[in-house]
Amino acid sequence: MEKSGIGPWVVSELDHEFYVPDYIEQIAQEVLQSYDLSVQSRQVVTTKPDKGGAIWKLETKSGPKSLKLLHRRPTRSLFSLGAQEYLVNVKKARVPAIIQTKDGQNYVEAGGKLWFVAEWIEPLAPVSKDLEGAKQLCYALGEFHHLSKGYVPPQQAEVASRLHKWPKSYKKMIEKMEWFRTIATAYQEMPASPHLLNTVDEFKEQAKRGFDRLNQSHYFELAAKGNEYWGLVHQDYGWSNGQMGAEGMWIIDLDGVAFDLPIRDLRKLISGTMADLYRWDAQWVREMIRSYHEANPISAELYEILMIDLSMPNEFYKNIKEVVYEPELFLNEETTQLIQTIVDTDQSKWPVLEEIQHDWEKGGYE
Amino acid sequence: MKVLMICTEKLPVPPVLGGAIQTYIEGILPFLKKEHDITVLGVSDPSLPDEETLDGIHYVRVPGKVFEIYRESVVRYIEAHPFDLIHIFNRPRLVLPVRQAAPLAKITLSMHNDMFHPEKMDPQEAENVIQEVSNIVTVSDYVGNVISDLYPQAAAKVRTIYSGVDTNRFLPGHHPKMQKIRQEIRRANGLENKTVILFAGRLSRNKGVDQLVRALPELAKKFKDLALVIIGSRWFSQNDVNDYIAYVRALAKRLPVPVVTTGFVAPDEIQNWFAAADLFVCTSQWQEPLARVHYEAMAAGLPIVTTARGGNSEVIVPRENGLVVENPEDPNEFVAQIAQIISDRSLMKKMGEKGRELAVSRYEWNRVASELLDVWTHAQQAEHEQTHQEYAVEPLQQHTAVELEEADLNQEESKTEQKNKRKEKGRKRKGTLQADRPAKQEQNSTGEHVSASEPKRKKTLEEKQPNSPAAANHKSLVLSSSSYELPVFPRRKGKGSNDKPFRAFIIGK
Repeated sequence: MEKSGIGPWVVSELDHEFYVPDYIEQIAQEVLQSYDLSVQSRQVVTTKPDKGGAIWKLETKSGPKSLKLLHRRPTRSLFSLGAQEYLVNVKKARVPAIIQTKDGQNYVEAGGKLWFVAEWIEPLAPVSKDLEGAKQLCYALGEFHHLSKGYVPPQQAEVASRLHKWPKSYKKMIEKMEWFRTIATAYQEMPASPHLLNTVDEFKEQAKRGFDRLNQSHYFELAAKGNEYWGLVHQDYGWSNGQMGAEGMWIIDLDGVAFDLPIRDLRKLISGTMADLYRWDAQWVREMIRSYHEANPISAELYEILMIDLSMPNEFYKNIKEVVYEPELFLNEETTQLIQTIVDTDQSKWPVLEEIQHDWEKGGYE
Repeated sequence: MKVLMICTEKLPVPPVLGGAIQTYIEGILPFLKKEHDITVLGVSDPSLPDEETLDGIHYVRVPGKVFEIYRESVVRYIEAHPFDLIHIFNRPRLVLPVRQAAPLAKITLSMHNDMFHPEKMDPQEAENVIQEVSNIVTVSDYVGNVISDLYPQAAAKVRTIYSGVDTNRFLPGHHPKMQKIRQEIRRANGLENKTVILFAGRLSRNKGVDQLVRALPELAKKFKDLALVIIGSRWFSQNDVNDYIAYVRALAKRLPVPVVTTGFVAPDEIQNWFAAADLFVCTSQWQEPLARVHYEAMAAGLPIVTTARGGNSEVIVPRENGLVVENPEDPNEFVAQIAQIISDRSLMKKMGEKGRELAVSRYEWNRVASELLDVWTHAQQAEHEQTHQEYAVEPLQQHTAVELEEADLNQEESKTEQKNKRKEKGRKRKGTLQADRPAKQEQNSTGEHVSASEPKRKKTLEEKQPNSPAAANHKSLVLSSSSYELPVFPRRKGKGSNDKPFRAFIIGK
C-alpha cells in the first residue's frame, strides 16, 4: 500500500456515508502508533473520497482528538501545518493545537500523505444565522488574519501564496465568461442556453470593469508589501469553520491557508451571505466590514480592493463554471432558474456598493 | 572533460514520460559522449534504476518532483562528485546552490522557458546567476532576448541553439517506411479520404487548442472531408480533467467533423501520428519559447500553421514551410490561414517538402550537439571570473512560490474539485444559510475536519492546487522540517583559494 500511495476512492451506493477503504484505515492504525496516545475509539467523521482525505474523531485517555489525513501534496500540507503551529504556539490563537508524535514531530508521513493529530475542541457551536452571527464571524476572521501576520513557512514547505495572482484570477474569470458563451452557443437547444447567452455578456463586462479597476488601484503596491506583511487567508471560512467555543470563537480546518490580501476571505463571506439572503443589504455589508475592521483594520487602499472584489461577478462565475463539464446535463431548467436568481440578486448589489463605496474616504469607521 | 548535465526535477531522462527538455538531452547525448565523460543527473523514476551506465553515459537519478527536494539532492551529489563543467537545464535557481557545492567548476545553462522573469526569480539572484555562468544557451532568440532585455549584462553570454529532431524517426507519410503506418492509422480511425489536421501538445489554455476547435465549424463549411486529430494525454482522464479540458471536450463533441483524440501516445510512437496527418497546427496563446512540435512537423513533411507568439515563428519561413497567425485569440484567423493552405494543394505539398528539407538541413540533433560542444569549449577556455562579491541574496531562502515552466498546468481547477461541487449542486443552488451546516457533524463539537462543510461558499477563485502528475510519488520523499543553515553566502574567494569557504550550509538533516 505504501507503494501506490493514498489516492481518491470510489464510494458505491452500498457503502455507508463515511466509507474509507480498509488500507487507509490500516495506515491510520499504523500512524497512531507514532503517538503517545491511549486511543479508546476511532470514528470517521468526514471524508473527501474524491481527493483522498478523511478525518477521524479519537477518544483517548487524554480527551478527544482528531486524526486528519491531508489530501494535499505533502509539501503543500507542510505549509498549512506550519501555519497552524505558528498560530497556536506563537500567537496563541484559538486554533486547535497540534499533538506531537513520540519523537516530537507535528505529523506522520504515510501512504504518501501527511497525517496529524490535533485537539478536538469541545464544546463548539455555530453562531446564529443572522447579522449578529455574521458579525461575530467577521470579527473572528479579522482576529485570525491579524494573528497570522509574520508567518514564515518551514524551509521544506511549498510557499502557498495568492498575493500576486489577483490580476491573473480576474483575467481568467473574463476568459471563462467567453467559454460559457461558446458552450451555450454550441449547445443552443438546451433550456438554459438562451438565458446564459442573454446574461453572460453583462457579467463579462462586470469582470472586465473589475479587472481594469484592479489595475488602476493600489493593488500592486499592496501586494508588494509581501506575504509576511499580510499573513494568511483561510480560503474556506464560514459558519462551520468559525464556531463559538467556551472562551470565544475558534477557527478550524486550516489546511487550505495561503498568503493573500486578507479581505478576500471577507469578500467571500459577504458575497456568499448576500447570496443566501437572495439580496444585497447595505446594513449587513457595512456591519460585517465594520466588525472585521475592529479586529484587523482595513486601510483606505485595502477597502478599495474590497470594493473592487465585491463588484466582480463572483456568484455568477462560481455557479456557472461547472457548465464546461457536462453541458448537456447542466444547461437544464434548474439552471435557468439559477441564472434568474443570480441576476435578480445581482441587481440589488449595485445600489449597495454605490452606497458604501465612499465610506472609507470620510475616514471610515476609524 | 568530466561533464555533469543536470536535468529538471520533473521528468526523468531518458524521456520515458516524454518532455521537451528530456527529449533534447536524449537527442544530443550520442554526440556529446564522444567528446566528454558525461554524467546525467536527473529525477528518479520507479521504472528506472537510481544509477546506471548505459552506452558510455553515466546516469544518476535522485529524489525530486518538487524543486526544493531536488535542489537538496543535487547539491548533495555534487558535493561528493567533482566535475569540470556543469550544465544546468532550465533551472537557473539551481545555479547558486550548485556554485556553492562546486566552487571551481564551469557552469553553463540552457534556457527552454522564461524563467528569469522577476516574479519567478529574485532580480538579485538572477544577476548573481548570470555572473556565475559562463554561457546561457536558449532554444530561441525569443527566450534569449527576454533575458537580455531584463538583464543587459547577460547579452554577451546568451546564444540561441535551436533544438532538433530525429529525421530518421519523423518521416513524411509518403516515405516508404511510413506509408503502411499512415494507411493503418487512417483506416483504423476513419480518416481515409480526409484532410487531417493535427494538433499535438498539452491541453491547456496556453497551448490553446480550443481556438482550433472553434475554427473548425467555419472550415467545415468551406471544405468537405476535414478531420481533426488531437494528441494530448489527458483527454480521457477521469480524475484529472480540469475545467479547460472539459471545455475543449464539450466543444469537440459538437463539431461537424470527425475528431480523433488519441489520449496518451508513447513518445516513441508519436511520429506515426505525424505521418498520418496532412497539416500541422500549433495554437499557442502564450509566449511559447519555441515548441518542439514544429521540428517534428517539418521532419514529417507537414505544412505548419503556427502563432506569432514567443519563438514559434522563428522557424517558419512564411509561405515556404508554413503560415503564421498574428492574432491567435481569434479563431477566424486560424480559419483564414488554414483555408489558405488547404485550398491550394500544390502549395500544401510544396510547404511540406520545404519543411522536410529544413529539418534535414538545419534541425538535426548533431547540429544541436556540435553547437553545444562549441559553447562548452568556450566556457572551458574562459578565465574563471573572480567575482570577489559578497552575495546578499538568500538563494536558498524561498519566500516566493516556486514557479515552474509549465505553470499553466497549475492554473486550471482540478476535476475533483469540480466534481465535488457538482455533487453538492442541489444544495449549493438552493443555498440558504442553513445549508451551510456540516452535513453530519455533531452540532456542538467539531474538531479538525476536512471541509465537507461550507458547500456554498466554496472556492471561487481561490487556490488551485498544482495538480502535479508527480503527486503520487511523494511517499518516497524525505520531508524533514530541518532547514538549510546559513542562508547567507560567504565571501567568494578568487580562483585557487583554498580555505574552503563554500561548505557554508548543510543540506537536510
